[in-house]
Amino acid sequence: MILVQQFINGLVLGSGYALIALGWTVLLGAARLVNFAHGQLYMLGAFVAWFVMEQAGVPYFVSIPVSVLAVALLGAFMQASMTRLVMEQNLTSLMIVTLGFGYMLTGGAAILFGGAPQTLDSPLQGMAVRTGGVWFTLQDVLILACALVLFAAVWLVLNRTRIGAMVRAIAEDPKLAQLFGINAPLVYLGIFVFEAATVALAATLVAPRTPILTSMGFEEVILTFMIVVLGGIGSVGGSLAAGFGLGMFTAFFGTFVSPAYTTAAAFGFVLVLLSVRPKGLARR
Amino acid sequence: MSSVLACDRLTVRYGGKTAVDRVTLDVPAGRMVGVIGANGAGKSTLINALAGWSRGRPEVEGEVVLGGEPVSGLSAYRRAHRGLLLVPEGKGIFGGLTVEENMALVRTPADTRDRHAFGEDEIFALFPRLRERLHHKGTALSGGERQMLAISCALRAAPRVLLLDEPSVGLAPRLVLELLKRMRQLVDLGLSILLVEQNVRAALSVVDDVYLLERGTVVAHGPAEEMREDKRVVEAYLGRSDIEIAEPGSPHP
Repeated sequence: MILVQQFINGLVLGSGYALIALGWTVLLGAARLVNFAHGQLYMLGAFVAWFVMEQAGVPYFVSIPVSVLAVALLGAFMQASMTRLVMEQNLTSLMIVTLGFGYMLTGGAAILFGGAPQTLDSPLQGMAVRTGGVWFTLQDVLILACALVLFAAVWLVLNRTRIGAMVRAIAEDPKLAQLFGINAPLVYLGIFVFEAATVALAATLVAPRTPILTSMGFEEVILTFMIVVLGGIGSVGGSLAAGFGLGMFTAFFGTFVSPAYTTAAAFGFVLVLLSVRPKGLARR
Repeated sequence: MSSVLACDRLTVRYGGKTAVDRVTLDVPAGRMVGVIGANGAGKSTLINALAGWSRGRPEVEGEVVLGGEPVSGLSAYRRAHRGLLLVPEGKGIFGGLTVEENMALVRTPADTRDRHAFGEDEIFALFPRLRERLHHKGTALSGGERQMLAISCALRAAPRVLLLDEPSVGLAPRLVLELLKRMRQLVDLGLSILLVEQNVRAALSVVDDVYLLERGTVVAHGPAEEMREDKRVVEAYLGRSDIEIAEPGSPHP
């Protein structure tokens, strides 16, 4: 029965990882951009939801859109201040600038929300389902369902719509896209807003499972980077598979070997896999 | 004859070096105008500046007027919306997208007064090969097919003027003439085209008017039939037999 329980744990962990990485999948995978403040946006997503619940007394499910909207606006501001770097696809400068943004967000959040650990309360987190010796919460079900639905929606939009074709076109050649009448800066703005909004959504769904701290974020960036690279840059399906794979690995390795070495072992696993399949899990 | 595209003293500098120097040019409606000149004369820089487009960061001065309205301050995508469609030299399509997706990227403007947006049927009649390659990615296309696709995408956007930059690059001589003849057919149907072409003999066989560019400056301008006799053109571009592309003795009427 422990195997089934760990499978469920892996599934929930993995869908959480995948959700956190979804925005980056589009940002790096499709638009060839980076945002190393991604982890801090995750932190902010969780804290904005917590803050409005604590201060305004709004219910959990109302705090989700509030947080998504607030972080999306921040994403828009970030992109607007980096338009030139984005248009020139200057990834090195973007990396430094977004890292700087991340540190500013961490500092600002510490001033605004304090340094103490907090809990983002979701009513579904306390609703457990116990059956046949295994258990999971309704929050776990929500995370899994949201991950599957959002990944399917993003895959469809990227591969079956004109907007998706525009994103892929801009990823390939933003200058040429302008000759097709595409407002490239506007599309980039949309991609950044999407990335910020989805990581905030992921935070509001995943964060109720653990205490939240304004210092968190670094682990989420590393995790996201690992998933996007492992999944194969540019592959939405690959990122979902990588998220689940990493979740399973974390659950089983943590249970049967040692939770202390899970991250190091996961990196070892990724290293071996990428040396065998340099383009990750994606079918090319 | 009314002008559909004109520029007045257009100057383009890259890092302080002047690539195009006070060029004044006019594309009358329903005509095909050629810009010829040697490699490095500033032809591509000129046509890119007209479209407000560049892969670098040029300083551009001078006025560009499209259909009587100044467009100098507009970015490339806004000029494209207004019907100033550039097909750049070399890579004019997205290799990661299929032919169908490349064509679907272009949105026909809502207001197409005085403009004609080419439908799929018209494009496939012009370039039947594209229909067969509809679901192939751009990377799988030949040089000629890519050029056809790039032109088709521009035609779908209802061009007031089509700016073609070196469409002959990378194409077999037979294909060059075939492509230019098809462009000529579009002009005969009312489209206005500005053609930048290094293959002078081929260009002279289809255009109505010619501008000769040397070191960024217009050194001669006139109807194609006169320019064919121009000493500078004959000596520099028509004297060599290895650029025999056009059918001899078949200048455009």
